[in-house]
Amino acid sequence: MIAGVVIALMLQGAGGSDVPLADATEEARAQGLMRELRCVVCENEPISQSTADIAVDMRRVVRVQIDRGQTDEEVRKYFVDRYGQFVSFRPPLDGWGVALWAFPFLLLLGVGGAIGYRMSRARKAGLTPIPDDRGGGGDA
Amino acid sequence: MIAELGHLLAFLALATAAAQSYLGLTTGGEAPRRLAVATGMFLVLSMLTLVISFVRLDFSVALVAKNSHSLKPIIYRIAGAWGNHEGSMLLWCVIMAGYGAAAALWMRNDRLRDRALGVQGLLTLGSLTYLLFASSPFTRLADPPLDGGGMNPLLQDPAVALHPPFLYMGYVGMSFVFSLAAAGLINGTIDRDWAKRVRPWALTAWSSLTVGIALGSIWAYYELGWGGWWFWDPVENASFMPWLVGAALVHSLIVTEKRGGMAAWTVFLAVLSFCLALLGTFLVRSGVMTSVHAFATDPTRGLVLLAGLGVAGGAALALFAWRAPKLASGPEFDPVSREGALVLNNLFLSVGAALVLLGTVTPMVVQWLGEIKVIPPESASLSIGEPYFQLTLAPMIAVLLLFLPLAQAAPWRKADLSPLLKWLTPAMGLALAGALVAMALGGWGIWLGFGVLVGLWVVVGVGFDLWRRVGPAGIGRVFRLPLTVWGMAIAHIGVGVFVIGATVESAARVERTFPLSNGQSAEMAGWTFEFQGVHSEEGPNYYATQADIKVTHGGTTEMIHPEKRFYPVADTSTTEVAIRKTLGGDVYVALGDTIRDEPGVWRIRIAHHPMIDWVFGGASLIAVGGFISLVARLRRRAPAPAESPAIDPTAEAPATPGVGATA
Repeated sequence: MIAGVVIALMLQGAGGSDVPLADATEEARAQGLMRELRCVVCENEPISQSTADIAVDMRRVVRVQIDRGQTDEEVRKYFVDRYGQFVSFRPPLDGWGVALWAFPFLLLLGVGGAIGYRMSRARKAGLTPIPDDRGGGGDA
Repeated sequence: MIAELGHLLAFLALATAAAQSYLGLTTGGEAPRRLAVATGMFLVLSMLTLVISFVRLDFSVALVAKNSHSLKPIIYRIAGAWGNHEGSMLLWCVIMAGYGAAAALWMRNDRLRDRALGVQGLLTLGSLTYLLFASSPFTRLADPPLDGGGMNPLLQDPAVALHPPFLYMGYVGMSFVFSLAAAGLINGTIDRDWAKRVRPWALTAWSSLTVGIALGSIWAYYELGWGGWWFWDPVENASFMPWLVGAALVHSLIVTEKRGGMAAWTVFLAVLSFCLALLGTFLVRSGVMTSVHAFATDPTRGLVLLAGLGVAGGAALALFAWRAPKLASGPEFDPVSREGALVLNNLFLSVGAALVLLGTVTPMVVQWLGEIKVIPPESASLSIGEPYFQLTLAPMIAVLLLFLPLAQAAPWRKADLSPLLKWLTPAMGLALAGALVAMALGGWGIWLGFGVLVGLWVVVGVGFDLWRRVGPAGIGRVFRLPLTVWGMAIAHIGVGVFVIGATVESAARVERTFPLSNGQSAEMAGWTFEFQGVHSEEGPNYYATQADIKVTHGGTTEMIHPEKRFYPVADTSTTEVAIRKTLGGDVYVALGDTIRDEPGVWRIRIAHHPMIDWVFGGASLIAVGGFISLVARLRRRAPAPAESPAIDPTAEAPATPGVGATA
């Protein structure tokens, strides 16, 4: 049954069609994936936005895979295995990729922690607010 | 003759810039001031001669021959003067010298101005040297062609004709902020008076940069034909980094101006923003990346720019390292205060800029490591795009924005949060209710709902803060609030509007491509599109294939005509999309290609971009807010009895027109 749907999708797509999946949640997942896969013949476009033939084919493959019950992760892996990491706008979450993902948060926590520590240590009791002047305290 | 005149004027500017930098950094006084005005005037006139050459289609000028064409409409002939590498470098020099001339005319006469003019003269000298000896726009052809080579037709568009001037007003405007920072460091004083005098320049540059980026984004949205307004493309990131640092700067300058605090950090940001602007220019011009926007690329140009970045940035950082330890730290403040909130703002915006830098250069570095065989070439390719930035930068900015209404209401030095929280609780309730209603109506998920909540909280919270400022009794007095407050409030509301628009547009956008032959229909989001074939049209310098599509929506019917244009001179095709605006967003139709082996079948791309106007509207409000703050500062300065710039930790400069010191 599923195989039948897949074949139908493949054949149907021969003309470059974009037939959405029947299930709205699955279609949304497919569209999400299409936005993070890179059109390999275009300059810097995801397949969701390209009208190139190969992008149409890749979109169809995404839908076929989703329809087969593959997870997002499996679909990404399918494309990365064939086209290399270049095809995915989402950098990998392993090896050096972990550093790439963690860096911004570590930097924020590290610098923020250091500033917070210094400010709290230098914290003085008895400071009073400087009152607003006729409501103009703002950025003035 | 006219091109030679322009060439001569640029050489005169080279001489005056050299004298300006020498005298500005040594004796000072009237001489560098007059020289700065002269440099600016020479370069404006020089640019004018180039524009005249373009308007008159003088094909004996190599640049005109290469980049213009007799069939090009007049407005794009003018814009063509800067729509290429050499012309845009001249524009760069004009704006750089223009900032110097403006400062010479309007800044108070003292050491800071003289030295800033001196540094600005050096930067202008460097830029002009590069212009005249490595990319002169005035070169003549011995054998002029009968007609020109045209211009990249993608650039034949009003938004993108104005995009470079605004972007350069921003990028290059940072050069004068840099000069003021260097001058302040040479003088050894970075104090409240310094910050007060830097702020108008920083606001001008940053607000212009906002406009420039927004124009580029609008252009990408309707001209590139795929309906994206931001794609985390390296060129976009290149302008976003100085924008983020500039945003941090216009906030930290407030602390330095009002309280005398964060002086070293503020001056560091002032240096950094111009370095990032140079880095951005390097990334765009050098061809180190593949990008849809890299129009003029050449590795040698890149090397020169990189050298310039190294010299200017290195010198400034050395100066900073030398002087910064001696800069006074400001008066004490409690972490819970306006100062503390602005520290938080600067922390997040700077980390955000570092994040964007990492995401932009990592793929290039990885590719380079592969080329020199440090890592296996087959694994040396990496793409970093939307998913990365959406999962790192977006949550970071969301957390920052949760603090915004509180920060805006907090007093200096020490804040008692409980009355503020009490005042803002109804605002949070309203935002929460609004987000829940929107989620229910749109069938949106939790993340989309959270983004909308953050945006609404900012908008409503800022509104409540305005209300608090006038007091509950006199809501009518809201329009008598000082202009500075309005500038801040409008920019912040713009941020909220932008966040709502960007979240909804990114998450709820629908895109589909339909293969249609004559008579077939497609349906999307309650709209019906009946394809009735294509026909040919002819423009001034292009041929177009126009689709005829009958659109039916809620009982009304109209024809739309998305088209593909072919520009024979440039041998390039472009897409002209058809956009129908509705209250909820844009319906966006683009004509694709015919399908291989199936004559008469065209690919039609149809997309729905919900709330797209909120994205551009929000960005515009941010720029408007910035410009209002600028006007507020200029007006305040006018009838100025000089106020003591001495730092008084207990006194706040009142936000009253006419009381601020001269700038």
